[in-house]
Order: sequence, then structure tokens, then C-alpha cells
Amino acid sequence: MPEFESAIIKTYAPNPGASMFLSDESATTKLLVRSDQAQFGLVFGASSAVGEALICATRPDEWLILGSEPAVDAAAAGIDSGGFTNVIPFTHGRSLFRLTGAHAAGLLEKICGIDWSDAMTPEGAVTSASVALTTCDIIRHDRNGIRSYLLMCDRSFGQYLFDALLDAGDEFGISVE
Amino acid sequence: MLLVPCPYCGPRNSSDLRHVGEAISRPDPNAASPEQWRSYLYLRDNVADWNVETWYCTRGCRKYFKVERNTATNEFRDPPMPGNKIGGKA
Repeated sequence: MPEFESAIIKTYAPNPGASMFLSDESATTKLLVRSDQAQFGLVFGASSAVGEALICATRPDEWLILGSEPAVDAAAAGIDSGGFTNVIPFTHGRSLFRLTGAHAAGLLEKICGIDWSDAMTPEGAVTSASVALTTCDIIRHDRNGIRSYLLMCDRSFGQYLFDALLDAGDEFGISVE
Repeated sequence: MLLVPCPYCGPRNSSDLRHVGEAISRPDPNAASPEQWRSYLYLRDNVADWNVETWYCTRGCRKYFKVERNTATNEFRDPPMPGNKIGGKA
């Protein structure tokens, strides 16, 4: 496996006192499971932590495992390989960003049509939608009680989406982390 | 804005989906006459009434589904809907 290098340029000046943060977590190991078998007991739209890995049901027949390489490998041991099952390393294929802040939902509401209220998208919710006209998988994954979203798109759209999120977050005092 | 009821994702803006068109059955290619095949490929009823359509959820679940829509009023009839909430922590 070649060493991972993010597609995002690293010339942003971080502001530690900001109220909202965007970080590039594209180096996170990503493993995609496409299967006609139910996997991990997760239905479309749900997520679950297995060890230190996060498993997300991103489509009715697709699951995504995120985490460090050892954690993802350990979680992958639970894949039911019966039926028609494909396991695809996706680390290099996708950009992954984390948006954290009390007003993170307000930012997403500007550029995405999903209802980001707690009632519709509680902690752990997984959905797929257009974010700034880019198809993204979005996972609500709060950190220390603060709203946080993982956004994943095709690697080639990564730089555009990163800049679009920073642009949309300007009014919320966003900074790179 | 047209809200399309995806059976997997719930109601979504139509810009997140692709309207495939009237749901029509494909004739047997080995038995169909040229007229039947031409009709399947090119001819549509285009009714101003209730019509069964195929949609593709391009930005969401990437599934094809059929739904009944009134083409005059844009109402959807008996849409197959998932739960109100999107997933959550299992």
C-alpha cells in the first residue's frame, strides 16, 4: 500500500480560538463492504463503534469501516463473506473531513438539503446527500458532546469541498484544525 | 421544490434524484415485433394524471424505485416511506 498523502493543500492558517473547526482526516483508513448479506447487524442509516473502528451503513447494501489500520482490520474480521460480498480498500479513493462546532448543523443547512435537527439526524446517523453540489456520505459523530460531522466525498472533489465548507463556515467563525 | 419520497432515504429534493421516466415493462427481445420494440424505446403516454414513474436516487442510496405521482399536481400517492428518523447509533 503506498503511503497516503491527502489531496488538500496545507496552506491554511489555523485559529485555535475559533468556534468551529474543519479538519482533514483523509488519512483515516477506509474499508468499503458491498454485500447482499446483512453486515454487522447495521441497517442503512445507522452506525456503530466496534473497538476503535466506526462502522457506518452508508447504503442499503454498503457499509464503511473507518479508523486506524489495526482497528479497521480487527473490525473487518466480523464481515460475513457469504453471498456476493466485496471488500474494497477505499483510503486513497475518498477525502474525509471532520466538521466540529455547536453550529455545525447551521453550516450544513446552508449547503445541504437534509434536516440536521436532533429529531431527524441523531448522534450516529448516517446519510448520503448533496453537499455544495458534491455527493457526500455524512456521519454524525459528536466529540465530547459537541456536534461533529464526518463528511466523505470522492478524492477528486476534496479540495473543492474543503474550500466550500470553509467559505460557508465563515459566518460561524470556522477555522482549520 | 419537489419532494420525492425515496423508500430508503425518505423525502428528498428532486435535485438529489434523477427522473428516469414512466415505468414501462420491457418486452421479450426475442419475441417482440419491431413495432413493440420501437414503442418500448420511444413512445410514452405522457398523461396529465396519476402515473407510475421510475426515479433514481443519485445523491442518496443509489437505488432505483417506482412511485406513483400525479403529473398535474405533483402529489405522490401511497409513497413507500422509511421511518421518520435517519438511523442513529446502533
